[in-house]
Amino acid sequence: MKTILVVVALLVLLTLIFIAQYNRLVRLNVSVDEAFAQIEVQLKRRADLIPNLVEVVKGYAAHEKDTFEKVVNARAKATTATTVADVAAADGAMTQALRGLLAVAEGYPDLKASANFLNLQDELSGTENKVSFARQFYNDNVRSLNTAVKTIPTSFFAPLAKVSAREFYEVEDPASRQAPTVKF
Amino acid sequence: MSNFRTLQSANKRKTFLLLAVMGALVWVVVFAALTYAGQSTAGIVPIAVGLALISVWGSYYASDSLVLRMTGARQIAESDNPKLFAVIHEVVIASGLPMPKVAVVEDSAPNAFATGRNPEHALIAFTTGLLDVMERDELQGVIAHELSHVANRDTLVSAVAATTAGAIAILSDFIMRMMWFGGRRDRESNSNPLLLVFSLLVLILAPIASVLLKSAISRKRESLADATAVQFTRNPTGLRKALEVLAADSTVVQQRSNAVAHIWIESPLDGGNISRLFATHPPIQERIETLRAMESLS
Repeated sequence: MKTILVVVALLVLLTLIFIAQYNRLVRLNVSVDEAFAQIEVQLKRRADLIPNLVEVVKGYAAHEKDTFEKVVNARAKATTATTVADVAAADGAMTQALRGLLAVAEGYPDLKASANFLNLQDELSGTENKVSFARQFYNDNVRSLNTAVKTIPTSFFAPLAKVSAREFYEVEDPASRQAPTVKF
Repeated sequence: MSNFRTLQSANKRKTFLLLAVMGALVWVVVFAALTYAGQSTAGIVPIAVGLALISVWGSYYASDSLVLRMTGARQIAESDNPKLFAVIHEVVIASGLPMPKVAVVEDSAPNAFATGRNPEHALIAFTTGLLDVMERDELQGVIAHELSHVANRDTLVSAVAATTAGAIAILSDFIMRMMWFGGRRDRESNSNPLLLVFSLLVLILAPIASVLLKSAISRKRESLADATAVQFTRNPTGLRKALEVLAADSTVVQQRSNAVAHIWIESPLDGGNISRLFATHPPIQERIETLRAMESLS
């Protein structure tokens, strides 16, 4: 009688441990998905600023066709990307194209002084900050997930929960990780 | 090597340890009470714990609205201060928390606090003095510190600590009063004089010890919030500069109640000669040094 109780108690305990570990892994995996969705939301916000920005810059510097083309191309590429690596690559290209656009604007004092442009620039750097925090949050989540998948005891349950290590979000251009600072 | 991750786990471990010591202290006090006043007084143990639970958990549950009233904070909407909300939005994204309620306290002393029973009911508040003097990166550091309290569930931790300390205080107070008013020990108690002296000492010292433990937990949570803030912003400089501004400013928030002193980013009580052991916050210079050490790492 006693041994049966002990066995039952052990089984219950093991089941509870299993459930806890399994759920932890699933939760970590879901939070990586959520974090990635957050990056996409912020990238979309940034992309939405681009048509206006291009219009405003065109008004003062219509002949800088190359730069506009780069930005528009980057935007088109960003809308089709789905995998982490693709989105990160498109993100990097966009960041660089935008930097080019802003560099062009530097050469036109009238443009730089226009309220419209200043507004957009403010909004852009705000969004840029949000994008970089979203990237960081995603990578933090991937880090926790990957640690859990690779360390004992969670590593035993990873195949059962069909959870595996995920890819970090790496933007090619290292300078792009430095968000522009805004002062107010 | 003390980056924010090692600091976070060290502070979490210490909080756990302190809470465990506090839990053990409750049992020691119960034992002392029963030894000193006799087994027949066992009934007051659940009463003391019950009283402590009622008094603390009501205020824990309603902490967001209650603290608003006690500090005179006024909740604001995004349209009231879009610039502040822009910085908050960034840190919210970095932390993965839901957007908290935001409030402002009309007070020229720079300070800030966070409260709320869970991240869904979180509230962060800033004094007008703080919003006036802080640069953007400093403000970001302060917001990250406050959101760290939310992420680390510090309202819950301090409620647990307050309940335990409260139960200990009520219990020993009961027993001491009973003894004072001529209560007598049961005959059946084994009356080992050494044990009785020990019990009396425990009953006298336990309330002080529990307050010390509560303050120690509060200090650990502050250090933890500083470390977590660095995890959110990856910028120890902002928070360090903010703390330097707070340290340099000698004005103190016009507190309506000492009961909420521990929730501010900079202790409003530091003005007096309170011993370090009773302080709810680590010395601000020490916090600045820790952040400086993190800056040199990156």
